[in-house]
Amino acid sequence: MSTLDVGAYSPREKGVVGLLGALGALLLIAVVTGFLAPAYLLYLVGLSAMYMLLSMGLNVQWGYGGMINFSVAAFFGLGAYGTALLTASGSPISGGVSPVIALFGGLALAAVLAVIIGYPTLKLRDDYLAIASLGLAEVVRIFILNESQWTAGSAGLTGIPLFFSDWPVLGDLTYPYVFYAGGTPVFNMSQSVVTSFLNVVLVTVIVAAVYLFLRRIHQSPWGRVLRTIRTDEDLAETLGKNTFAFKMQAFVIGSLIMALAGVFYSHLVLFVSPQDLQPITTFYVWVAVILGGTGSDRGAMLGGFTIVAIQQGTRFMTDTGALPIGAAPLRLMLVGLLIIFIVRLRPEGILPPERELIWPDSLGGGRDE
Amino acid sequence: MSEQSLVSDGPVLGKTDPVLRAEGLEKRFGGLVATDDASIEVERGTITGLIGPNGAGKSTLFNLVSGFYEPDAGSVSVNGVNVTGQKPHEIADQGMIRTFQTPRKPEGMTVREALLVGPHNQTGESIIPLFTSPSTVEQEERRSLEQAQQMLERFEIGDLATQPATDLSGGQMKLVELARGMMAEPDLLLLDEPVAGVNPVLADKLAGFIEELNEEGITFLIIEHDMNFIMRLADPIIVLNQGSVLVEGPPEAVRSDERVIDAYLGGPSE
Repeated sequence: MSTLDVGAYSPREKGVVGLLGALGALLLIAVVTGFLAPAYLLYLVGLSAMYMLLSMGLNVQWGYGGMINFSVAAFFGLGAYGTALLTASGSPISGGVSPVIALFGGLALAAVLAVIIGYPTLKLRDDYLAIASLGLAEVVRIFILNESQWTAGSAGLTGIPLFFSDWPVLGDLTYPYVFYAGGTPVFNMSQSVVTSFLNVVLVTVIVAAVYLFLRRIHQSPWGRVLRTIRTDEDLAETLGKNTFAFKMQAFVIGSLIMALAGVFYSHLVLFVSPQDLQPITTFYVWVAVILGGTGSDRGAMLGGFTIVAIQQGTRFMTDTGALPIGAAPLRLMLVGLLIIFIVRLRPEGILPPERELIWPDSLGGGRDE
Repeated sequence: MSEQSLVSDGPVLGKTDPVLRAEGLEKRFGGLVATDDASIEVERGTITGLIGPNGAGKSTLFNLVSGFYEPDAGSVSVNGVNVTGQKPHEIADQGMIRTFQTPRKPEGMTVREALLVGPHNQTGESIIPLFTSPSTVEQEERRSLEQAQQMLERFEIGDLATQPATDLSGGQMKLVELARGMMAEPDLLLLDEPVAGVNPVLADKLAGFIEELNEEGITFLIIEHDMNFIMRLADPIIVLNQGSVLVEGPPEAVRSDERVIDAYLGGPSE
């Protein structure tokens, strides 16, 4: 093994960026030629970003600190239900709260649950969190399914407003929205395109903010202690680090990011049901993190994107009639194949962490990430 | 110490300025008594050796004083502070740092990165200051980086700074462990078999480094099976047998003591 790269972008990252650029160009062409509806493309972007958030959240827990959390779907679901219960017109509890405030409701729910599940298990060895979280995801899902007086049960919650619904300008656009340049109408957009576009703007801001936040806390003494805990918790203890506190912080942060994905999902799809909390979501996110490169934020984002590409790409292929079998089995088969390929060829993932966790500014000028 | 012999029967207690004091420690694993009424004191400024036949309870004693095991009876104090029953990280904060018998290799870390984990209470270990006072974090990191480089150079492994820690040889890893321990600025370093599996040349170097650090004021408590190494370095030497302290005294006297020889010959090997 050679020395670890401490410089800027590695060749591998450049390759991935190139590949993504090509894919983006392809999608754009598909839109321009009318092969793909613009609103649908924007929806796909939103969905990818949501998976990126979920993967980044799990990466904080598993990639930074080595904590095995099998209840990604539960934290995602709490975010989604938290905001939905507060804002939706069909909510059996309150409804009508502004999404901007409800956002914090979803986050608070997730944080409380993270502390409740983390407190007893993070003091123990890794496996206990795995076991407890495995059960937790199902407990949350079945609770939502059965306690219909609070959650509307299996019917799900309808009437969730758009995130910007009560914003001054963005909330009361009239449709079709006409875009003027110098007094002449340039193009008009249907409501679905405008709302999808706003969603993409929202999620881009969220993903960017989360990424920048994570980059700062990861490449720091804090991230370094977690990396030490991941390889050897006893070692971190002997060096005077309160490993429980560090793990708890990472666990809560990761859970909050997952809940953020859930909040966004609610306002993207405008409908949530217990179906959204199926364990398969957790499974997909794990695949995303491992595929992307455990411990790397960029890897987690790439992994999240790849999962959506497989999920939606297979759907797209069945629509064109190019497939002899249905999309659902094909999707699972592709994911299975992907896992085998990773384990055989790139056990460390596509973009494994390559950087030292040292505060970048202290390494002398010019070395930005 | 008695007039007749330089070797004390049992531990020497009541030292003037002990960094570490363990009293009447007891630890059972089911029916097995691993540590039975063990008391030791480590005087500030010494290199104290801890020897004994296999199964005498040396590592158990280390685990007890460093907080990894909770004692069934007895007490531990570091720098006069009672730390019995405290967590390992709380005990480490009192100024006692330990190493492990098998070096812990931090995967995915460079050598200098591993060293930077050493310093206590770094500002950047809390999340909020990372955003509110990044300049403090930066200054601390710069200082720690410099200190890490100096430490590595002192141990003549300065060229390894940016190497992955997993690529090191066993002996180099021991040096890195020592360096990392020093980054925590301890009063007392507990070394568990520092030269096990290390070639004689490097073992010699290591002994030299330990002596140097000792002259600068670091107290050592060292478990070691290599008799030449420990006899050269340590004074006093505490001999553990069957979970409690058999004798304590200067190396030459301990070496020729009948009870020690009996304990070793009666043991499984050595």
